[in-house]
Amino acid sequence: MKAQLRQSVALLALALLPAAVQALYLRDKIPWQSRVAESDLVSVEVARGWGANALWVDARPAEEFERDHIPGAVLLNEDRWNELLSQFLATQWSPEKKIVVYCSAASCNLAEDVARRLREEAKLPNEIRILKGGWEAWLAQKK
Amino acid sequence: MKQYLWRVVAIIIGGLFIYAGAIKVVDPVEFARDIDNYKMLPWQVNVWMGLYLPWLEILCGLALITRVLYRGSVFVLTALMVLFIIITGIAKARGLDISCGCFGHASKYLSFAWHLVLDFLLLGGLVLLWKNAPPRSDAQLA
Repeated sequence: MKAQLRQSVALLALALLPAAVQALYLRDKIPWQSRVAESDLVSVEVARGWGANALWVDARPAEEFERDHIPGAVLLNEDRWNELLSQFLATQWSPEKKIVVYCSAASCNLAEDVARRLREEAKLPNEIRILKGGWEAWLAQKK
Repeated sequence: MKQYLWRVVAIIIGGLFIYAGAIKVVDPVEFARDIDNYKMLPWQVNVWMGLYLPWLEILCGLALITRVLYRGSVFVLTALMVLFIIITGIAKARGLDISCGCFGHASKYLSFAWHLVLDFLLLGGLVLLWKNAPPRSDAQLA
């Protein structure tokens, strides 16, 4: 048992070495402080100020979108990504507009995933931001 | 004969952990996001976990195959699997929509039930390896 523990500690310590080297190597590429960089977020107030220059993208499940959504928002979630993306590109998208993606609240990750896919997979040239606080923040602002 | 069988099991499980670690090591931030989806630890800790755990898996997998630090690797991997199954259960009970990210993007296409089956199979294999560990003289540095 002692040998097992000694070996376990050795393995746990050994793994620190490549992890530390990788951390050093990637130090400028890792978002150390928060999951989403502050520069990728936008507040409800600022996004509303963009007016017709903003394209609202709802990343929540279809049932939630159908219940209620931000006026003018388009449904684009990962459940039916290819179909909804083609629809979005054919109907609403314009290269000059800013895209604001939102999901239900600050704790959800759907908007972040959709924003990343719009940038990396769809390779949209637009400024793409995530709505800070999501749908909940929008509702709070409306009151 | 039995010894050969456990050797093959160790190589398969070791290989699986090396594969699981290798596909995560190329994008530690993506793995950190998967860990963050469990909503148990602050982001700063998850980033370090995302950097550290894949290397631990690779090293333990190599240890299983080469039999260097063999007993330690079985111990660490068993502890990791138990911890992971508990955490996954808690996350599911909290209604979180999680992708464990264990096998990179392939994980996204596995249902929760399949994840559990795979996890318990691995855990079962590790427990058997634990019980049938080679004599200390066979396992180097044991």
